[in-house]
Amino acid sequence: MYDFLEKNAMYIVLLIALIIWIGLFFYMFRLDKRIKKLEKDKNTE
Amino acid sequence: MNNFLKYLIFIIISGVLIAGILVPIPYIPSLGDKARIIYLHVPMSWIAVLAFLVSMINAVRYLKTRDLQKDLIAYSSAEIGFLFSILATVTGSLWAKFNWGSFWNWDPRETSIFILLLIYGAYFSLRSAIENPEQKAKLSSVYSIIAFVTVPFFIFIMPRIVESLHPEDAIVNSQGKITMNPVMLTIFLSSLAGFTMFFFWVLNLKVRVEKLYHRFR
Repeated sequence: MYDFLEKNAMYIVLLIALIIWIGLFFYMFRLDKRIKKLEKDKNTE
Repeated sequence: MNNFLKYLIFIIISGVLIAGILVPIPYIPSLGDKARIIYLHVPMSWIAVLAFLVSMINAVRYLKTRDLQKDLIAYSSAEIGFLFSILATVTGSLWAKFNWGSFWNWDPRETSIFILLLIYGAYFSLRSAIENPEQKAKLSSVYSIIAFVTVPFFIFIMPRIVESLHPEDAIVNSQGKITMNPVMLTIFLSSLAGFTMFFFWVLNLKVRVEKLYHRFR
C-alpha cells in the first residue's frame, strides 16, 4: 500500500484536488440557482 | 453571471489542475516538482490583492455617493480577500514545510501576509462594533482605503527590499524579463485568468446573499 501511494503520489494529489474542485463547483452552481429562485420569489411577493 | 461563464471557469480551473500536475516542468534547482505550487499559491495571493483593491474602489464610491450597496460590495470583497489571504498563507506554509523544513519561518513574505491579515481582521472588528449602518459604512470605508495603502507595500515592496528565502525571479526577473518556461507560463496565466473569473463569481454570489439578507430582515 505504502509503495503504491509513493509511486502514484502525483495522481492521488490530482484526484483529491479534482474531487474538491468538482464538489465546490457544483455546490456553488446550486447555490447560485437557489439564490436566483429566492430573488425571484422576493420580487413577485 | 451567465451559465456559459460558469462552465468556462470550471473548464479552465480543471484544466489548470490537470495540466499543473501532469505536464512535465523543467528542473528548477532546489525546487524540482515543488515549483508546481506556483499554479495555485500565486493566484490565491493575486485574488487577495484584487479583492482588497475592489473593496477600496467601492469604499471610495460609497464615500462619493453614500449608496449603501457600494459599502456592501466593499465589505463582501474584503471578506473574500481575507479568505484568499488565508488560502495563500496555508498553501505557502505547506510548501514551506517541504522546502524550508518548517511551516512558519517569519520570512518577509510570511510576516507581510500576517500583518495584512491583522489589518483586515481589524476592519471586520470595526464593522461589527458599530450598529448604525451609515456610520458603519462611513468609518469602514475610510479604514478600507487606509488599509489598502499598505497592501502594495506588504505584498510587492517589503519582500523585495528585505533578504528572503522566498524564490525570486520565478516569473519575471529584476530586469523585467520573463524567466518562466513558456509551458509553465501558459498554465500559470490560465490559472490567474480562471481564478480571477472565479473571484468575480464568488463576489457576485456574496453580494446577492447580503442583499437578500438585508431584505428579509
